[in-house]
Amino acid sequence: MIDALAELTTVAQQTGSSPAITPKSAAALAVGLAALAAGYAERGIGSAAVGAIAEDQDLFGTGLILTVLPETLVILALVVVFVVPSAF
Amino acid sequence: MSVYGSANYEYVVARVRHRRASLFSDDEYRKLLRMGTGEIARFMEETQYEDAVNALGSRFSGVDLIEHALNETLADDFQDLLRYSEGRLYEQVVRYLRKFDAWNVKTVLRGLYSDATEAEVRSDLIDAGEFEEAFLDRLVAAESIEGVVELLDDTLFETYLEGAFEAYEESGTLVPLENAVDRAYYENLVPDASVRGEAAELYREFLEAEIDFRNVRNALRLARSGADVDPAEYFIDGGALFDRKEVGQLVADRSTLVSRIRESKYGDELSRALDELEEADSLIGFEHALDRALLEYSDHLSYVYPLSVCPVLAYVLAKEREVDNIRAIARGREAGLSEAEIEEELVIL
Repeated sequence: MIDALAELTTVAQQTGSSPAITPKSAAALAVGLAALAAGYAERGIGSAAVGAIAEDQDLFGTGLILTVLPETLVILALVVVFVVPSAF
Repeated sequence: MSVYGSANYEYVVARVRHRRASLFSDDEYRKLLRMGTGEIARFMEETQYEDAVNALGSRFSGVDLIEHALNETLADDFQDLLRYSEGRLYEQVVRYLRKFDAWNVKTVLRGLYSDATEAEVRSDLIDAGEFEEAFLDRLVAAESIEGVVELLDDTLFETYLEGAFEAYEESGTLVPLENAVDRAYYENLVPDASVRGEAAELYREFLEAEIDFRNVRNALRLARSGADVDPAEYFIDGGALFDRKEVGQLVADRSTLVSRIRESKYGDELSRALDELEEADSLIGFEHALDRALLEYSDHLSYVYPLSVCPVLAYVLAKEREVDNIRAIARGREAGLSEAEIEEELVIL
């Protein structure tokens, strides 16, 4: 009984010392969340841009640029993947 | 065009902003002022009125062509707004555009009252509201005023018209029916306080401004005419500026009325108009200044709250103004008024 308890404590200590997910997967999560946010931002801008383009074809360039602007968010988040080490 | 789903403010506002920006500017009005009616029609052919002018060009000419092209474009434009908008936005826009339903009903009633021909009445209707074209045709084809009232049975005018029709039969004048139509429109315009949320608040704020301005105008007109009419009867509920009881006293005392407006939240926008009223004492000038102030205030609201119904309603107001302006120029030209006289009739921001 005592033995089993001691064993359990060591196992608990072992799992407790390492993080729940690896640094790389945390970075991947960050990119995914950033992409979600960018997509949400683009939703509004895109529908406004399509509205403007429907009124005036010349606005296509401006509309396109403004629509993909939040995409920079994902690119910046991608940097995180390279910054974090693959393991401790 | 559906009441379901979420509101698509971004799309509609982008389209509306573009259209607002391509309305006629100062310079274009100045050019129009120097033109004859034929030239105005040709000028319109190069603008957003192109389709309507081309389509109607073979049937009408001169002022008639301009008039019909204006009505047609206005109707198409507002139908577009309804087609674009979804969800809560659609609901609010359609509520507001019922003003054309009210206008159409009144036109049909007046047409029947004055024995105008069906074609005459039909050409004056603006197909921009909730009523469909086929329904308008049936309204126009109605034999009597009673027939019109019966046709309107399933619409929101029903409850208001029932009582008014009896009053009409007793008195033989259209006034009760017209008042009933107006009341039906205005009382359904502002949603009841149970609808909450920012969008509803903004919509209410915009409409309060419009109702306030309308009340101010009515009050001043009554004060001016000196007619022995109870101003409370023409008072429209829902404004923020004054209530039914006050308006009676204010009409009698014009200087308090003016200072009251000056102290209100519209004071800044209206100060120029009020100065004009005090100096020139001309009601026409003041009414135009009032229109200008309402346009400015609506633009202000639409910049402060870009993702709301405000830009759409501001555009509706501005477009109506433009149509009125062009009509004034064309009519003025035809009647042989001078440029300066016509310019006084215009409301330009």
